[in-house]
Amino acid sequence: MLDLGVIVTNFKFLVVQGLLGLGGFAGGTLRLAIPAIVLGFLLGIFVGIARLARTRWISLPATIYVEFFRGVPLVMVIFWIWFVVPQLLRLPIPEYGVALTAFVIFEAAYFGEIVRAGIQSVPRGQVEAATAVGLTGAQTLRHVVLPQAIRNMVPALVTQMIVLFKDTSLASIIGYVDLTKAAQIVNNREIRPFELYLFIALVYWACAYSMSRFARRFETRPQGA
Amino acid sequence: MGYQFDWSILWSGQSGGWLLQGLLTTLGISALAWLLAAVLGILSGALRTVPWKPLRAAATLYVEFFRNVPLLVWMFFWYFGVPPLLPAGARRWLFDHHPEFWAGMVALGVYHGARMSEVIRSGIQSIPKTQFEAAVAMGLTTFQAYRLIIVPIALRLIVPPVTSESLNLLKNSSVALTISVAELTFQTRQIETYTAKAIEALTAGTVIYLALCVGIASIMARVERRFAIPGLIARGG
Amino acid sequence: MKRILAVVLALAVALSVAAPAFAETTLEKIARTGTLTIGTRTGSPPFAFVNKQNEWVGFSIDLVEQAIAPAIAKKLGKPVKVEKKESTPPTRIPLLSSNAVDLIAGTMTDTRPRRESVDFSVTFFVTGAQFLVKKGSPIKGIETIAGRRIAAQQGSTNARIIRERVPTAQLREFPDQPAAFQALVQGQVDAFTNDGIQLYGLRAKAPNAADWEIVGDFYSYEPYGMAMRKNESDFRHLVNVGLMEAIESGKYFELYEKWFGPRGEAPYPLTPENKRFLILQVVPK
Repeated sequence: MLDLGVIVTNFKFLVVQGLLGLGGFAGGTLRLAIPAIVLGFLLGIFVGIARLARTRWISLPATIYVEFFRGVPLVMVIFWIWFVVPQLLRLPIPEYGVALTAFVIFEAAYFGEIVRAGIQSVPRGQVEAATAVGLTGAQTLRHVVLPQAIRNMVPALVTQMIVLFKDTSLASIIGYVDLTKAAQIVNNREIRPFELYLFIALVYWACAYSMSRFARRFETRPQGA
Repeated sequence: MGYQFDWSILWSGQSGGWLLQGLLTTLGISALAWLLAAVLGILSGALRTVPWKPLRAAATLYVEFFRNVPLLVWMFFWYFGVPPLLPAGARRWLFDHHPEFWAGMVALGVYHGARMSEVIRSGIQSIPKTQFEAAVAMGLTTFQAYRLIIVPIALRLIVPPVTSESLNLLKNSSVALTISVAELTFQTRQIETYTAKAIEALTAGTVIYLALCVGIASIMARVERRFAIPGLIARGG
Repeated sequence: MKRILAVVLALAVALSVAAPAFAETTLEKIARTGTLTIGTRTGSPPFAFVNKQNEWVGFSIDLVEQAIAPAIAKKLGKPVKVEKKESTPPTRIPLLSSNAVDLIAGTMTDTRPRRESVDFSVTFFVTGAQFLVKKGSPIKGIETIAGRRIAAQQGSTNARIIRERVPTAQLREFPDQPAAFQALVQGQVDAFTNDGIQLYGLRAKAPNAADWEIVGDFYSYEPYGMAMRKNESDFRHLVNVGLMEAIESGKYFELYEKWFGPRGEAPYPLTPENKRFLILQVVPK
């Protein structure tokens, strides 16, 4: 028999602690997802631009970075940082730090590819016209290419941000008390997996769906040849 | 406390065998899940473009719900939440035959089916409408038009994004370790639990994943070039 | 292929160079940060678990907060905060060796093979391994499990013993106790083996305690100790001082009563033999 009582009793813990991160445990899906998305995107911009650099000293490391992180599972990256970094620094690192670092460096590879494709989708003519008018390379990038590129990238960017939001659930593997871990904690005690996991599935769905609805407002048809 | 490197643990003792078992499990669960995802993806992707609302709505519901929930949650759901609901006979069979493997496979397949569906849908929608109209004009029913014209073209168009989604599936199989599927990442943890050599174990796992992904990607790039339809190559993922 | 090799090579070089870095002892680290980080369980009542009010509590946690941390604070002359991180049997030694935690305070059995990787405090609890089964199950102890499906925690002493002593038993390892218990509840396995006291704690907290029984004589001796990194004699001394003073002053028995007494979470009377053992561990001042 479906027991919704377990959700009602633990609703506050699941949503306030798990989703928002306010409570006795250091945790919170949003507390992790929002900085991860922002920092991941920022790093991704650098990575994407670096991949298009003309000097091999910059473009090759960037390419290796992207190929490496796109060729390994996120779970592996999380374990690397969880086990190896504290050993190197001789310092315990809180789960939040481990998870945030893993997500930022991993997703930056994916954001980087989106940025690269976005920049490459701006028609050559724009760059040529900018040079003809007298703008330097950097100015062209900043005032002509990037604004158009960003407009083209928006759908792919939003998709990737939603992916990152979902990926934060993997932080529960190292004990970070996010929405998934909160559900696990309650389930371990009450043993009501169907109700609990379906409930958090709905919460995740609601968040992801609102993110995509919100972003649809900014969507324009991709330009360029 | 300095870390003592000891790379020999990878080939002496049980580690080598574990890595191999992990690799085979990863490939096995990924292959089966891929088949499930392909079937679900093609069905729902195609259904989302047909003119009948109820079919479109059902397919859209499947895609939007399963795609927007993290795979990890699905793993727990299929492994812990679903088996108690099965009829007793099915449950008994499942528990005797590696329930975690099947739960993980289904979770992976259903989740990636929803993602494949999007790829296939945009593939179908990028085919000029004139193709469909011409097929109907020649006397094919809608079903025949899809089966003989639309879907085959769509399948060739979508080779790049499908390759990328398939590699995602392979990488996501690592999430199954949370429900005790003894796949590759689980085995690197196992080696590390028994030998305390985290760096060696993680390196071995990482190298294997890289080899798999870069290998499959290069093979598929070659396949892509052979199957590309001149003039209609979809931009890759 | 070249790319992969380049990356792996770079990683290996970086790591081998960085490893022998500066060495700070655990006590120095605690003195500097004012924090003792412990690895403890979230699903092992009553040693360390999350209660119905969703608070992280337990006997092991109390021992650290009320006996060990004060002893360290007294020696360092400054307050010491306790920070808790989750650890499970497969992750506890890696967490310790990677400096993520300073002390494992949960349900870890002190064994000779483990002493090759970590150091243990004095024993703070004594129990043995048994089986948790559904009431009326034909399994009555380690002699009756041949061919049966047995759940155990990955990396536990119990898993290893079953693997060695009863190879015909179908051993299935789970990442932690709650996962193994759920497998038992759903009928995926016929029995769950773990240390007796943990089974008592688990049953006490289970939704329908009357359905389960704990069977079998102890098939192993499980003395619990707090684990820490090797070559940290000063830190280990303070941890032991904390535990010894708690036993000497009666604080330990107060906490024991709270969690294992007749009105505690998991009633488990302290046998006179075990009580004597604990008291005899307290070396003279």
